[in-house]
Amino acid sequence: MNPLHDDDIDALLQKSFDGPVPDAGFCDRVMQQLPARRRPSAWPLAVGVLVGAVLCSLSLFGSSLWRAAWEGWLVGEWSSSTLIMLSTMAGMSLLALGWTLAEADDH
Amino acid sequence: MTCVADSAAEARIDQSLVARALLGDDRRAFEQLVRRHQGMVRAQLCRLLHGDEAAADDLAQETFLLAWRKLDQFRSEARFSTWLHRIAYACFLQTCRTKSWAARHAQDDEMEHLPAPANAMDLRLDLARAMRHLSTAEQAVLLHCVQLGLSHEEAAYVLAMPLGTVKTHATRGKAKLKTWLAAWHDAAGEERVP
Repeated sequence: MNPLHDDDIDALLQKSFDGPVPDAGFCDRVMQQLPARRRPSAWPLAVGVLVGAVLCSLSLFGSSLWRAAWEGWLVGEWSSSTLIMLSTMAGMSLLALGWTLAEADDH
Repeated sequence: MTCVADSAAEARIDQSLVARALLGDDRRAFEQLVRRHQGMVRAQLCRLLHGDEAAADDLAQETFLLAWRKLDQFRSEARFSTWLHRIAYACFLQTCRTKSWAARHAQDDEMEHLPAPANAMDLRLDLARAMRHLSTAEQAVLLHCVQLGLSHEEAAYVLAMPLGTVKTHATRGKAKLKTWLAAWHDAAGEERVP
């Protein structure tokens, strides 16, 4: 008497599975029930971006580091504050670009 | 090799249909997706519901309506069919939690604990009986991995279980079936498993 092996059990299970169920009008019933797709509105994103930008500006312009960087930038002086400000802006832009590319790739 | 290539081609067709359904709001593309996958989704649910075809069809319909609503959340990290199986399994769990199906089924299970006929001739019936005596998780793992042909990783995604747990349930489930069906094998004498 040979003992049962995993392959035997797999074969038995597969044999006992009847496979895909025939359509028999199922698809038509689903399509009749399908609701109209709601388009996602763009305004929450736009409002979010605007509010975020305003809050960010308010908090940054209150900072002495940022003010020094801005003044340095206006007179063309490459102080450490100016470099930090430019690096931060470049980093944020790159992150936003990466996020956009990743989202575009997913779709 | 051919099987892998076929599977990749099928996945590409699904992705293109999903893109059409999303970008152009193309209901015909979604209809194609329903036609391509309804059979396996209904088979999955029918098995999970132990042959209750009407309940399986209701859940399958709910699954496809949910898929239509959440289509923009589909990411190509999983095959579309796997994503559908995951939604279907979530619908099944929700039904078990909220409706009376589980209670009705519990009564059926008590019936299954009656002693089996001494000389059962039909291995298929004995297998079905043995499957029902596995834990719910073992049944679900064997259904998805062996009968629906998903990989362990895909089954883990569908069942929302860690990969190691899926492998453990598969091994334990098969070990139990081997033990129970070996007794049948002994009793059947010359009967051979194909």
